[in-house]
Amino acid sequence: MGSLIEVRDLSKTFKVSRRGKGIPGMVANLFVPRYEKRQAVKEVSFDIEEGEMVGFIGPNGAGKSTTIKMLSGILYPDSGSLRVAGYVPYRQRRDYVSKIGVVFGQKSQLQWDLPVIDSFELLKAIYRIPGEVYRRNLERYTEMLNMGGFLNQPVRQLSLGQRMRADIVAALLHSPRIVFFDEPTIGVDVVGKEVIRSFLRELNARDRLTMIFTTHDMQDIEKTCRRLLIIDGGSKVYDGSLEGIRAKYSAVRQLEVEFAESLTVLPMEHVTIQDLDAYKKRFLFESAQVEIQDLMNRLLSEYPVRDLNITEPAIEGIIRRIYGGEEV
Amino acid sequence: MSLIPYFAYAKKSFLGRSAYRFDHLMGIFSTCLQVFIYWNIYRALYGQRTEVDGITMAMVTTNFILSLGLREAFYTDDGYLSRKIRDGSIATELLHPISFKGRMLAENLGNALFNLIFRFAPAVLISVCIVGIQPPADAESVALFMVSAVLGYGVLWAISFACQMTAFWLMNTWSLFTVKNVFVGILSGSMIPLWFMPEWMGGVLKATPFSSIYFTPVQIYLGQLSLKEIGARCAVQLLWAAGIFLLGDFLWRRGQKKLVVQGG
Repeated sequence: MGSLIEVRDLSKTFKVSRRGKGIPGMVANLFVPRYEKRQAVKEVSFDIEEGEMVGFIGPNGAGKSTTIKMLSGILYPDSGSLRVAGYVPYRQRRDYVSKIGVVFGQKSQLQWDLPVIDSFELLKAIYRIPGEVYRRNLERYTEMLNMGGFLNQPVRQLSLGQRMRADIVAALLHSPRIVFFDEPTIGVDVVGKEVIRSFLRELNARDRLTMIFTTHDMQDIEKTCRRLLIIDGGSKVYDGSLEGIRAKYSAVRQLEVEFAESLTVLPMEHVTIQDLDAYKKRFLFESAQVEIQDLMNRLLSEYPVRDLNITEPAIEGIIRRIYGGEEV
Repeated sequence: MSLIPYFAYAKKSFLGRSAYRFDHLMGIFSTCLQVFIYWNIYRALYGQRTEVDGITMAMVTTNFILSLGLREAFYTDDGYLSRKIRDGSIATELLHPISFKGRMLAENLGNALFNLIFRFAPAVLISVCIVGIQPPADAESVALFMVSAVLGYGVLWAISFACQMTAFWLMNTWSLFTVKNVFVGILSGSMIPLWFMPEWMGGVLKATPFSSIYFTPVQIYLGQLSLKEIGARCAVQLLWAAGIFLLGDFLWRRGQKKLVVQGG
């Protein structure tokens, strides 16, 4: 028995038209169209177990959305294999998609001109959701997401945050066990994001829904996911826990110390000392070379210390460095 | 396979159509106007003659009313797939556990039913009041006319469907459909009754699907065909509809592998 989601050496290449600038480029393209192959996803492999909540991140154009679209049965992979809950998504699309839910933050599946509730009713017919299940899900989710106020408004009159919540409910009405979210918080304000995050957390914790979501907001990840998949330039560059990434990438750590009096600290091996003000100093070191415990003990025993503060490098900073192309 | 989702789509598009009242009035008006113009042209061409090549003026009038009326009812949404591909909403469509082709057909049928009731019927009634119509040969002809009209719609729909599938490669299919509309307009008999086509042209037309869209039902209505001929013509309609649909289906399968979802 394998994992719920099994991805092996998944690859997808797109043909993009390459066109010169302006009118000469256009004319040239008219006669001799030139194409360029762009590999959007390169031999990506991973496993996801039932009940996991995985954050899927990477810079723009890294191949996240393409991977999600292959996982949800919309796009055909060029090579590699893909298995979700026993289905091969792109081959068994119609049976498969009734088992999953997908939210595309940038594309709505609601009917633009109709009230939200009418779109939900249409989905009820499409997925053949039993009346009982439909009512229960609708009631529960609209209450959790506080949507009672705009269920009868046409979608085109909703704010982005409201539309996003409606789209999330739309993807969950048929009780899928696996849900993919492609940028579910894009363009949503801080309060709205928090509502969505806590909703997702609750679904994962209480209903044990398996979720994968892509985002550019690291707060989304820090507040919801335990596991992180980072993809860059089409390849997987990291797969592990949020803590793991700190340990792996944040080689340089910082310790800020406030002393009781103005003093000079004797130089120490592998530690860089910076003066912040008369009493405060910052110690920079690499975790591989210096044990933080040893450093602290030494400072506490040898100097009059008033306050100690270990600052973790922000996860955003680490991600920025990974995107920048730093080797593992 | 349950039909419930498809009924839901058909119903949605049927109800959705009622929103554009002005559009319907203009549609009815334009159909009547075309009938009236063609009628006048042919009346002038006929002059004092009662018939040309055995075709009476009343038969010509009937041809225009029925084929232009049916054109109003035969709804196809030619830009459907290319729109969905261009704005990327094809992605959300493919997430639903239903057949995309079935959904296209269901939505078109919902629209076609609406058009049949609210456009075909009034346009035909008004036209008949203005220019008159030849009564059907007999009750049997009317029934067979209806069967053949449904098959004719099948042919037209299949042509639209197959042409739409090229959107996977072309992205923009507008020009292709302009060409298609010219072919359907001229070669189906809704502008020039096919009786008046030169002999060689008639032979060519027999080898194309266009004459089976409107002209076959019209001939049946007028009682021009024997029962045996009707059977053969309807079989031809069915073959065209099925054959072109299968071609479209082949393109659909190939196209899905080529699908590029635009916009993020």
